[in-house]
Amino acid sequence: MARTDTVDGFVLPRRRVGAWSIWADRHFRWLLVAPAAVLILALTIYPLVYSVWVAFVNFDFQIPGHAFVGLQNFEHVVEDPIARRSLLTTAILSVSSVVLEFLLGLGLAMSMTGTFRGRGVIMLILIVPLFVSPVVVGQIWSLILQRPYGPFDYLVTQLFGPTEISWLTGNPWKYISLIVADIWQWTPFMFVILLAGLTSVSPELYEAAELDGVSRWQTFWNITLPQITPLILIAVTFRFLDAIKLFDIIFIMTGGGPGTSTYTTSFYLYQTGFQNFHLGQATAGSWLFLILTAVLIMFLVRRLLRPETA
Amino acid sequence: MRAVRRPRARRQGALSFDNLVRIVYLGLFLAFLLAPFYWTVITSIKPIDDFMNIPPVWFPEQPTLIHYRVAMFTYRGLDGLINSVVVSTAATVLSVLLGTLMGYSFARFNTGGQHLSFWVLSQRFLPPVAVVLPVFLLYRYLGLNDTRFGLVLVYTVMTLPLSAWMMFAYFRQMPAELEEAALVDGYSRWGALWRVALPLALPGVVAAAVFTFIFCWTEFFFALILTSRHAFTLPTIFRGFLGFQASSYGEASALAIVSLVPSIILGMLVQRHLVRGLTLGAVRG
Repeated sequence: MARTDTVDGFVLPRRRVGAWSIWADRHFRWLLVAPAAVLILALTIYPLVYSVWVAFVNFDFQIPGHAFVGLQNFEHVVEDPIARRSLLTTAILSVSSVVLEFLLGLGLAMSMTGTFRGRGVIMLILIVPLFVSPVVVGQIWSLILQRPYGPFDYLVTQLFGPTEISWLTGNPWKYISLIVADIWQWTPFMFVILLAGLTSVSPELYEAAELDGVSRWQTFWNITLPQITPLILIAVTFRFLDAIKLFDIIFIMTGGGPGTSTYTTSFYLYQTGFQNFHLGQATAGSWLFLILTAVLIMFLVRRLLRPETA
Repeated sequence: MRAVRRPRARRQGALSFDNLVRIVYLGLFLAFLLAPFYWTVITSIKPIDDFMNIPPVWFPEQPTLIHYRVAMFTYRGLDGLINSVVVSTAATVLSVLLGTLMGYSFARFNTGGQHLSFWVLSQRFLPPVAVVLPVFLLYRYLGLNDTRFGLVLVYTVMTLPLSAWMMFAYFRQMPAELEEAALVDGYSRWGALWRVALPLALPGVVAAAVFTFIFCWTEFFFALILTSRHAFTLPTIFRGFLGFQASSYGEASALAIVSLVPSIILGMLVQRHLVRGLTLGAVRG
């Protein structure tokens, strides 16, 4: 390559051409990726590989030694009724939260289309919960729902007469309380993405529909929904894959209790590994959970995030 | 000039049924969102005597800041705050730096094809509980448990999918011509990235940085397991209020306020990039 410092009278920046910089330029793309990839390998892939070993040996702080135990750890998890129940609780809580958040968020997005006075301020308020730590959300809702001094219990008593309901421990109120806290935090997530979808629908479609005398309901069903389907899928998928990891608000609001009744899978694995120190069993369980999640990711994410949707 | 005048999409009635529904729904939802904030602020400034009152005290006659002082010093909120600031800032710098390089490589050279970029993305959805235990054991071996540095590394890795994919999306929608011109002008590839592409991508870098910071600031699970007495962050202090007594309502609320104010302010500053941040660049906001 010619090393001229001027072309047509323009002074060009001098280029250091050493063996290193030629090599660096040739492998430039891989050099850029390398540091991040190495870190990910070191802190997620290495632990995952290591944990395969942990899952197949005795790894319990109460029992010395690391003898190979075959599938015993996996059997312990699969046969544990608390584990099965926690999976069911996770499924029920995440599905009901995501469905409600979707419906409420869609309502918000439709209410916020167009321009009106105060829209900017309302927009700012609506997105605030997204920036609050889930632990803080749990803490705040515990304060509101606690009995007998919390404001919610007082209002209910005033409206419907005295109750004996304990909002954070009673059945089914503890689940509803957890769902309410989750809805409070994550409905804005659905709202923001669905609003982006609604505003990107071409106005011509609505104008054509109005000229043809199509009813409002049919317009919504046949034009709006199909147009925003890709964004609905993205919003629901992202939210769902996070919802199944539910841990923080459980930890703060119910502590998994009363008993083990509000254990989610993440909370169960945390308790088994870090409170009861059955590390082998917890690791085997987290591998099963990981495989379940991976299957969901394969189905949902790859399909969604093709470059075309971007 | 337009030949055809387009009909208005919707008539603006003074108070149509539609608008009424919209106002009522928005009003109710705003009340639902704001009431918890009001209660937290009020609780954080109530004197202790007001906590065990029925009916609840909706506004204290003698507001006090004592809970903030107790939360900051007795509950070591100040130490947690400092740790949170240091850890979140360091992790953000590291994550956005590495993520920008990676995102640039994906966008300009399609490095590793779809496999590599999706592999990075899939880390975003990895259940933390699946990796935390081996990381805990590794850290115990390396002496990184309960250190800020250890937490910084974990947060960097956890936020790399976010920063790399946000920057991937940002660079992809930026024309490559300027960098090509820089290469013709004799810049090295590194120079074209550092001195041409990066300054143009600065808004994207800032947005990615803010989302990364908020993620680290609000993270609880890894901090709970990997830290204890020294490197603990602000969110982990809340475990001290488990099964809490009325006497600590004020401290819990005061800490909640301290924790949520910075991230809310930061979040509002990047409102424009919100959709992009929430979907890792998959949706253009």
